[in-house]
Amino acid sequence: MRGPSGMVVRGVVFAFVAAPMLFPLFWMLASSLKTPQELQASPPVWLPAAPNLDAFARVFEVAPFARAFLNSFTVAGGTTLGILLTSIMAGYVFAKHRFVGRDVLFHVVLATMFLPPIVMLVPLFRIVEALGLVDTYAGVILPFLANAFGIFLMRQFMAGIPDELIESARIDGASEWTILWRIVVPLLGPAVAALAIFAFVFHWNSFLWPLTILQSPEMHTVVLALNRLVSYTSAIRFQNVVMAGTAIAIVPNVILFLLMQRTFIAGISSTGVKG
Amino acid sequence: MRRSERVWSAILLSPGLGMLLLFVVAPIVLTAWISFHEWSMFTPMGDWTFVGIDNYRELSNSRTFRIALRNTLLYAGISLVAIVPLALGLGMLLFGGMGRASTALRTIVFVPYMIPTIAVAIIWGYLYSPLYGPLNQLLGFVGLPRQAWLGAVDTAMLSLVILNVWQTIGYYTVLVIAGLTQIPFVYYEAAKIDGASGFQRTWHITLPLLRRTLLFVVVIAVINTVQVFEPVYVLTQGGPANATNVLSFQIYRTAFEFGLAGQASAMAFVLFLVLVAAVLVVMRLLRDPAGGVV
Repeated sequence: MRGPSGMVVRGVVFAFVAAPMLFPLFWMLASSLKTPQELQASPPVWLPAAPNLDAFARVFEVAPFARAFLNSFTVAGGTTLGILLTSIMAGYVFAKHRFVGRDVLFHVVLATMFLPPIVMLVPLFRIVEALGLVDTYAGVILPFLANAFGIFLMRQFMAGIPDELIESARIDGASEWTILWRIVVPLLGPAVAALAIFAFVFHWNSFLWPLTILQSPEMHTVVLALNRLVSYTSAIRFQNVVMAGTAIAIVPNVILFLLMQRTFIAGISSTGVKG
Repeated sequence: MRRSERVWSAILLSPGLGMLLLFVVAPIVLTAWISFHEWSMFTPMGDWTFVGIDNYRELSNSRTFRIALRNTLLYAGISLVAIVPLALGLGMLLFGGMGRASTALRTIVFVPYMIPTIAVAIIWGYLYSPLYGPLNQLLGFVGLPRQAWLGAVDTAMLSLVILNVWQTIGYYTVLVIAGLTQIPFVYYEAAKIDGASGFQRTWHITLPLLRRTLLFVVVIAVINTVQVFEPVYVLTQGGPANATNVLSFQIYRTAFEFGLAGQASAMAFVLFLVLVAAVLVVMRLLRDPAGGVV
């Protein structure tokens, strides 16, 4: 539909889709600016009469949020580095080396992609416990230093690099290590970026495993701190503090997404199409 | 040259494959092994007693386990029924009908997927609050009765599904859009020339050629929904009256609150088998030779 009536229809459709997607986030922000009296009104007040930022200051008093950010950066960053390293190395072999059983091995790796951590939580915990890594960063990071999705994604993109490029480097006497890091990886910029963001956000958001491993509050990640914040302040009059905490916790993710949106969407699309 | 390549294959593969072996394959095998033993979470490794299939026999007699299994399948089922048509509709809308507004709308629809599930659960818990949340007020505006949402046996599960659909629909929509971009435009042109209506084009071109994408969406959605944990943990603790008790929550509780590693592992292994069965069924559909071009 073109012309003015088409514009109106599009506007209505836009609002119809956007409103339910945005409303929960609006409610979170509006509530974080309300006074305790406004929070206790029923039916609820939609907009605070005099928005105030008290709740945002309170968050840092009742929960170790600043430390939690540091913890989340360490855990998500460490895991991401590991995943990048293992995925690039293994992906290269699956894409460019030939040996008997390669494709069978690759499919075995792919099969592990479908396994949720809950299924192996008990032995995983006992292994990490036996290593003495309960309540440490290493304990959170170690089991997730490699994953099938990363290996798969790297292989898919590396398969598109011409063999001649690699062959000619070999003839020039370059080692496989040099070829991988000097020739292959620089050609994979967007794919590596996509994997890095996926891994970072995924492990930033992760809950079950950190909940299982991290026990002392000063080790808690943002997501765990948020969980504790709720149990501290479940009364309705503290809902502004909870909503402020939630808003703070999601800010890094939303900013990262808005900045890297194209990479993100392209990464997801490629797994869907080629998968 | 060939020999040195072989050595490099091994060197480059070993970190990734080693970690997967240690932290995915070994734990799965151990889960199966532990499920045939009686073992407390508080006694050291090796201090277990072989009990055969006793743990599984106990599960089959346990009402709580049956409810948790049923709830898990119910949650996955309702989610699928909501997600597939919604993602298809939104995908087609964003791919075709919205012009320049598409990018903005795609961003809006996708943003919730980036947010930690804990945060999503907290926000929705507040929206659902019967007295202080806005949802009952909105229902009142359009003349519908108030709901207890998470507080009632009939609506609690559905409330969790709504939260999940809100959070993940953007991701599935992007997958559908990716599938749509693969369909050659000439098919539509040809059909248009032959006088096919918009509905006919959707039914005879888009849907058959999107089959692979939709099955992929189903596989991912099944994998994601059968392991639902966070909303249950934060919002309902499996209640009211076990109405939202799902397998992953029951496994967690059995292991880390009751300390019954054998029981928890038996449940985990059942969940594993459910997952494998579901994925195999969908893969089977994917390979169906009658399925056409894609």
